[in-house]
Amino acid sequence: MRESLDTLRNEFLARIVDGASEQEVQRLRVEFLGRKGKLTLMFHRLKEVPPEERPGLGEALNELRGFVEGKLELRLTELKRREKERLLQAERVDITLPGSRWERGRVHPLTLVMDEITDVFVAMGFELARGPDIEDDYHNFEALNMPPDHPARDMQDTFFVSAARVLRTHTSPVQIRVMETRKPPLQVIAPGAVYRHDDDATHSPMFHQVEGFMVDSQIAFSDLKGVLTHFLRRVFRPETGVRFRPSFFPFTEPSAEVDIQCFLCDGKGMVQGQQACRVCKGTGWLEILGAGMIDPEVFRFVGYDAERVSGFAFGMGVERIAMLKYGIEDIRLFFQNELRFLRQFA
Amino acid sequence: MNFTLSWLREFVDFRGSAQGLARTLTMAGLEVESSRPLPSMQEGQEDWVMEVAVTPNRGDCLGILGVAREVAALTGGHLRLPPALPAARSSGIDRLVDVRILSPDLCPRYSARMVLGVRVAGAPDWMKRRLEACGIRSINNVVDVTNYVMLETGQPLHAFDADRLPTKRIVVRQAGEIQKLTTLDGVERALVPGDLLICDGAAPIALAGVMGGSDSEVQWDTHAVLLESAHFDPACIRRTAKRLAIHSEASHRFERGVDPQGTLYALGRAALLLAEVAGAAPVKGVVDRYSRRAKPAPIVLREKKVSALLGVELPRRRTEHILTALGMKVQGRSKTAVRVIPPSYRSDLTREEDLIEEIARLTGYENIPSRLPLVRPAGGGSNHRPARERKLRAFLLGEGLTEMINLPFTSAEMNRRFRGLWGDKRSPVAIVNPLGQDRTELRLSLIPGLLDNLRTNLAQKARSFHCFDFAKVFALDARGAAEEKQQVAGLLYGARERKGLRWKDETPPTFLEVKGIIEGIFEVLGIGPEPAWSNSGVGSFLHPAKAAVIRLENRDVGYLGEIQPDFCEAAELEPFQVFELDFEALAEYAPRQLTARPLPRFPAVARDLAVVVDDAFPAQRIVRWMKDLNHALVEGVEVFDQYRGSPIPEGKKSLAYTISYRAEDRTLTDSEVNQLHQQLAARVAELFGAQLRM
Ligand SMILES: [Zn+2]
Repeated sequence: MRESLDTLRNEFLARIVDGASEQEVQRLRVEFLGRKGKLTLMFHRLKEVPPEERPGLGEALNELRGFVEGKLELRLTELKRREKERLLQAERVDITLPGSRWERGRVHPLTLVMDEITDVFVAMGFELARGPDIEDDYHNFEALNMPPDHPARDMQDTFFVSAARVLRTHTSPVQIRVMETRKPPLQVIAPGAVYRHDDDATHSPMFHQVEGFMVDSQIAFSDLKGVLTHFLRRVFRPETGVRFRPSFFPFTEPSAEVDIQCFLCDGKGMVQGQQACRVCKGTGWLEILGAGMIDPEVFRFVGYDAERVSGFAFGMGVERIAMLKYGIEDIRLFFQNELRFLRQFA
Repeated sequence: MNFTLSWLREFVDFRGSAQGLARTLTMAGLEVESSRPLPSMQEGQEDWVMEVAVTPNRGDCLGILGVAREVAALTGGHLRLPPALPAARSSGIDRLVDVRILSPDLCPRYSARMVLGVRVAGAPDWMKRRLEACGIRSINNVVDVTNYVMLETGQPLHAFDADRLPTKRIVVRQAGEIQKLTTLDGVERALVPGDLLICDGAAPIALAGVMGGSDSEVQWDTHAVLLESAHFDPACIRRTAKRLAIHSEASHRFERGVDPQGTLYALGRAALLLAEVAGAAPVKGVVDRYSRRAKPAPIVLREKKVSALLGVELPRRRTEHILTALGMKVQGRSKTAVRVIPPSYRSDLTREEDLIEEIARLTGYENIPSRLPLVRPAGGGSNHRPARERKLRAFLLGEGLTEMINLPFTSAEMNRRFRGLWGDKRSPVAIVNPLGQDRTELRLSLIPGLLDNLRTNLAQKARSFHCFDFAKVFALDARGAAEEKQQVAGLLYGARERKGLRWKDETPPTFLEVKGIIEGIFEVLGIGPEPAWSNSGVGSFLHPAKAAVIRLENRDVGYLGEIQPDFCEAAELEPFQVFELDFEALAEYAPRQLTARPLPRFPAVARDLAVVVDDAFPAQRIVRWMKDLNHALVEGVEVFDQYRGSPIPEGKKSLAYTISYRAEDRTLTDSEVNQLHQQLAARVAELFGAQLRM
């Protein structure tokens, strides 16, 4: 009988091969464990065994039945797992197809740059101010120390809407409007559209400026240098070289032109050894801002005492910064508003 | 202004290259815009043409002498004046010419010399080359000498053919009743009484400081030349030059200030050169009418002001050295200040700040330290607007609209068609000097700009185009005062674009979808009152039945709708939607402070209500009525369906509402809700003539 137990075990093991299907597993269960199953019959035959052998043999039989049941169960679980797996595989998607979504609207690159500029100053504690686009001669010119017949007015070709009203030629009148109504300390940033009677690849009749100024009791030229250097290194690269050189604006004294190192040629003025850099025209520097200490005449116009307060002001062209930042060569692209252009910006 | 390096070296010694000089000058405020080598006549003699951008305050640098003074001050190089033929003390000239100044305020100084025996011919090559390098066309040796000396000294000279001056009595006066003068470019100029003229007796012979007259011009047969070297009032010259649109080398310099002390040297230099290149014999003596002698006022410079304005302490020795290097005379000193007199050629230096700029300039801006100031927050109050503008933009971008930035100019025709939100009492702002016939006015509405953008993009084969513009519009009120306000407008043409696999039925947005965008804007801006949507007052450019005016508390704040089909047909466009909102008005309703409500503690119960009403019945009326009831248990009501067709009879429609019931203090029972719902349904049927559908 013990020998037939081993034979049965070997037979079962030979039948429950890896490839066994669920049907075969069920058939095996009936064949071995069914009412007339081979193992069941062995239990029946226990009575025929001498009583002293019964416990040992019974134990061996139970062990074999446990083994067979376990194996069958294992096989069934495995089959179920495989079936589930097969069903999931049938749901396979082509992950290389394009993602499906609505086309996003795009913010205009000039807004992008204007926000970036104002954010740097707002983070430094500057507040935002705005002024009208239609300005009077007084705020646009006279209070900025540009009396009638001053040659500095030539620097700005003007659109007139009447004899005394113009489309502002710069955002500087916001300086006057804020100082007229407020007392120092002031630190203000004023972004907006400005207008010049000019139209070609580098000049648009409308463009944008960001004006900024700071007035307090002890503001010096060195503060102007610090604030603008910090700003330029935030908007461009942190290691950008910045240089200040003397210039002239009627509403500042001393006045400065602020340049940054050309990022195309790294300030060398040359690309590939010999060719003059086309971005900086071989100078190694890019003009980016006008600035200076607010002229005492301007303080006089707004009723500040130049002996008690001092301040700096600066202005920059948003289009110019955007053109340099993104390598855009024609200013008119900004105002043609073609999706082909606008969709290049995140 | 252009000059050549070799020419500059005749005025000042300096070592170093053209590049080095360009850098030195640029960093001192005389920006060298370009420097290019000049083909040399002789081997090994390199020369350069330098182009400097002279700022309007530095008229003194419109001559090589001025640039040389800068170089000398910056490098310590020795400055010298090229030779001249000073006028001998003699009254010889007085027998030949007489000068009277009738407007001494406009002409503080008038100097003149006479040369005889002139042989007019071409100028020598060396002179021509230099003039041409500086952008001045060679005319003849006499005119070229005047230009050559002007380039050297910055003092404009004028040469009259003395034989063509019948009276030889020069009178400097305002035009008064004299009405015209033909200038040497052959153009007859209309004068105004304030123009300053040089006259021969009563006859005008030159527009002072701007351009000579054609009658007294030097010609090939000229023998005797009267050389004028004068000083004129900058503003007067500018007014005339600007009005007549003449931008001459002379007027450019006079407008920016010429050295009043430099007239005689320039004459002497010209006399010498005329003798050299035209064989001229100068008449002895000089006429010099100098009634308003320029006396530069002393300026006091306080040490503490220097450090306060620049943020750096500079030793007194250093600042005084800079000032004297720039030609200033120290007149007096105290412990804390110095008093100086600026040179006559620096009319831009009148104030302490001007001197501080000179000190900063020569110290080098790069040598002034950089520091961050203490920012003291001002009491201006926080400004909510920028944050709201960004929210608005972000929302519209999310809805798929791309931002446009348009020029504000438009045509009168477009302004007549698209009046925006201005009503009848406003008129467009006209541009006095427009850039073109289609850009004569400022826009009343943002829509014309968006229509342009649509056309541009359709021409580029865009399948659809959804965009917005957030910018100012302009108008004049009844009194002619200009008004401007920030508006937001959108245009939605074609189905919203998708990325990825194509959808089967892509359709353009409907009126309700655009209305949804506007409701979204109201939500994003947190606008309190509910807008009213009205069919009345809709603009004629909109579809009469698919458009609405948006009102907040009886004020028009915007509109939306489909563009008038005729317009689309004429422009060969598919139907599309637009909207425009008055952002300034919306901002007034936007709340500053939000307060959160706690979550409800008891559940809500929803019941639907379906009614059959006339086709023209506005669905919103039932919502409005129910909200106005203010019933404590009615939490909200919304329309969720509209249906026409069988089994609903012709001319009728079915509307379905969902009403949400909730009590604050308990869970409502079914029977309680059912009872209330039936009551409300019955009231709706009665009030609105609606038939209930069960
Ligand atoms: Zn470069």
